Amino acid sequence: MSAGASKRMHVSGEAGELDSYRALIKRLPVTIRPAFNGQLAGWDTLFPFERQRFRDLMRGVASFDAPKFEALIAPLRQLENKMGVQGWNFSQTNDTMENASLLARSADYPEWRNQVQRFYSTIQNSAHSTAPAQAQQSRIVVAILPKCLPFDRSTVWKSWENLGIEVSIEGEASHVAEHLLKQESPVLSQEPDPSDLWLIDAASGISAVNNPASILNCAALSALRERVLAEVNTVPKSIEVTDQTLAAIRAHNWDQWWPPELKSDPLLHKFVMDVYLSGNGALIFSNAFVQWAANEAIRRARPRVLFARFGMRAKPKPFTGIAIFENQQHISALPDVDDPQGSALDAVVLARYILLSAQRHPESEQTAFLCVAESARSAYLVLPDALKSTWNNQKSATPEQIAQYLINHLSARTGNHG
Amino acid sequence: MFKNDQRMDLNRRDLLKAAAALLVDQWAASRAIAGTSNPVTDRKVVIVTCGGIRREDTFADSGFSNIPHFSRDLLSQGVFYPFVHNNGVTSHYNTIASILTGNWQRLDDWGQSAPASPTFFEYLRKALKFRQDQAWFISSNKALTSRIGASSVSSFGPGYGANVIFPKQLLISAVVHAASQGRAVRGTDRATVQPELEAILNSDNYDGLGWSVSGESSGLDRITLGVIQQAIEDLIRTSSPVTGDEFTYLVSVEVLKRFAPSLMVITFSDMEVAHFGSYSLHLAGISTVDRLVYELWNQLQSDSAYKGKTTLLVLPEFGRDFDGSSTNGFFNHRQNSESTRITWMLCLGDAIRRAQIIEEPVQHTDICSTVTRLFEVKNLDLASKPIPGLYL
Repeated sequence: MSAGASKRMHVSGEAGELDSYRALIKRLPVTIRPAFNGQLAGWDTLFPFERQRFRDLMRGVASFDAPKFEALIAPLRQLENKMGVQGWNFSQTNDTMENASLLARSADYPEWRNQVQRFYSTIQNSAHSTAPAQAQQSRIVVAILPKCLPFDRSTVWKSWENLGIEVSIEGEASHVAEHLLKQESPVLSQEPDPSDLWLIDAASGISAVNNPASILNCAALSALRERVLAEVNTVPKSIEVTDQTLAAIRAHNWDQWWPPELKSDPLLHKFVMDVYLSGNGALIFSNAFVQWAANEAIRRARPRVLFARFGMRAKPKPFTGIAIFENQQHISALPDVDDPQGSALDAVVLARYILLSAQRHPESEQTAFLCVAESARSAYLVLPDALKSTWNNQKSATPEQIAQYLINHLSARTGNHG
Repeated sequence: MFKNDQRMDLNRRDLLKAAAALLVDQWAASRAIAGTSNPVTDRKVVIVTCGGIRREDTFADSGFSNIPHFSRDLLSQGVFYPFVHNNGVTSHYNTIASILTGNWQRLDDWGQSAPASPTFFEYLRKALKFRQDQAWFISSNKALTSRIGASSVSSFGPGYGANVIFPKQLLISAVVHAASQGRAVRGTDRATVQPELEAILNSDNYDGLGWSVSGESSGLDRITLGVIQQAIEDLIRTSSPVTGDEFTYLVSVEVLKRFAPSLMVITFSDMEVAHFGSYSLHLAGISTVDRLVYELWNQLQSDSAYKGKTTLLVLPEFGRDFDGSSTNGFFNHRQNSESTRITWMLCLGDAIRRAQIIEEPVQHTDICSTVTRLFEVKNLDLASKPIPGLYL
């Protein structure tokens, strides 16, 4: 069992609460129900943030009296009627590919998206207006472009559009992460919940920690990944059958394929399977896994600390350049050949995508983002406006100074929001 | 990475050509048809669509380096439309069906149903009495099916549709089948992929591969079979990547040479590796298309059946989602945003009035009206309008 797995066991006594949510969901327009029902069905595998958000949204729904609620959902209900949703094979129990396909090919899809956004925004505002004020928490996201990926210091941050500050690293660049993750570091010790600290690694570059943490190592997951990929590749050209296949993959017992450190962690099992089955290359390329897992961890868990370390991918082999969705280790017996240039470009783009993803959430106002290009001994620090004055505009710094800055930031609590 | 391999080495390309020639040979053998000109008009139209490509990765300061041939060699010869709108469903099957039909199609994304209105293949074949071998649809895209070649409209339909070929699928089927039988593809083991390919090539029924071949069965002559065996063996042995689009291109050129069709649509899809999250391979796919279209244009100019009478249209199917979008940026093409919906088109050859840039917005669905007008097929009930800047 991982360090935090025992903390994640479902606490009983929530049955009444969940029943009340089911009743609320029945009042919602049909096309909104699958997302809520899906979360409710997987309640035991939701991260604390997801549960809190679900509760907030339900509180928002419940805050409307009947006439006001009817007025709120009337435009969406009318739109559903216009779209002919009643005649669709539309799952209300969870999000499916068929649901997404039916919605996307409706001529009214853009308007449907607008209406759904309006609905969520309204109930969120209503929920927030009745929520108690919460302390803001300082956060860091650290993306590591390891030394094996070649970068030129003068060009590595060119596509980042002056989002942050370039800092030349005086010394061994890999020491930045090492300082942040050493045993006595405050980065590790503050919060007991494992979803508060994520270490996502393409290979084995991040040293293990003993503290509660969510640790995902793409290389350690390779046996599972290959099995899942093999199953995914059996899907025919049928959305309905694909949904059935994906549901079967989720329901399958994969116990023997999980690495020992994840054996008894149902939340991470669900999380990894979600990452694998939601596309975005997580089953194919390790760097895509790192990026998409990081994005999803930030979205679903809002961690205090997240490390994402990228790695090397191999060049596509003959035939797998054609059938790249296949497992090229199985398709071709030719030895793998590293693609350092291509991997470097992939990684720096994907690292920026983690930043852009984090910036979509309100927690970004308290988040310091650091990307380290180890081979170029260069770091890129992106700070929200409120924190910009806390970095003294140094153009160069030692690894220890950079790490200490982030540790100091994490140690600060920056006020309240309500 | 592919991008650095600006040209395939000649030896490997020759071998791939042999493989492409074999595929077309087989089709021709079953029909006993030689290339002929059309009695109604000699005009030729070739349309190339190329997956999801953002303008910022192509016709923009940040993208010109990915498209040296488009931007330096071809742009100055053609009409460029910088604002081409995809106002339909931004999936491959629906978009291509919309281009072919001139109506925004809202079909099953995975090609389980035929386009709901007639394709330009059907309009032309019905009005001009084109034979089936004068209308071709050749595609790398795995998301399509052979239903793309003709509509479900009863007065048109497959009897007036195009020949549909998915060359990449042929190779994928062979390789994957070998792997599924526990036979990894080894450079030193001839007994791996070749039998799979031979079995498929010799099969009477190509439905699973998207061919719309019908009629009598055909076999390979032993000499040709020997060529393909050698080609595949060497293809496997090489350590350089081979792209699906390269093979699609070579099959397309073979079809052009053998049948001189009046109308051909080619869809490339190497850039769709973006769905798997490799930006470098996505850019390599764009560069491959840039090179292949340039080679295609030169091929058309060197062939008397095409030179001076061919109009070539090249356009992405859509863009891709913008960086920072909730749909993970370049990976996907689902956003209702300019980055996804607005792309470009380059038109070269016979029909252009003069090289120019036309900023007036056009739509994907305008292409069907344009093609039918190019062939002087009029009085069709099409909602779209022909694109400006062409002799129509």
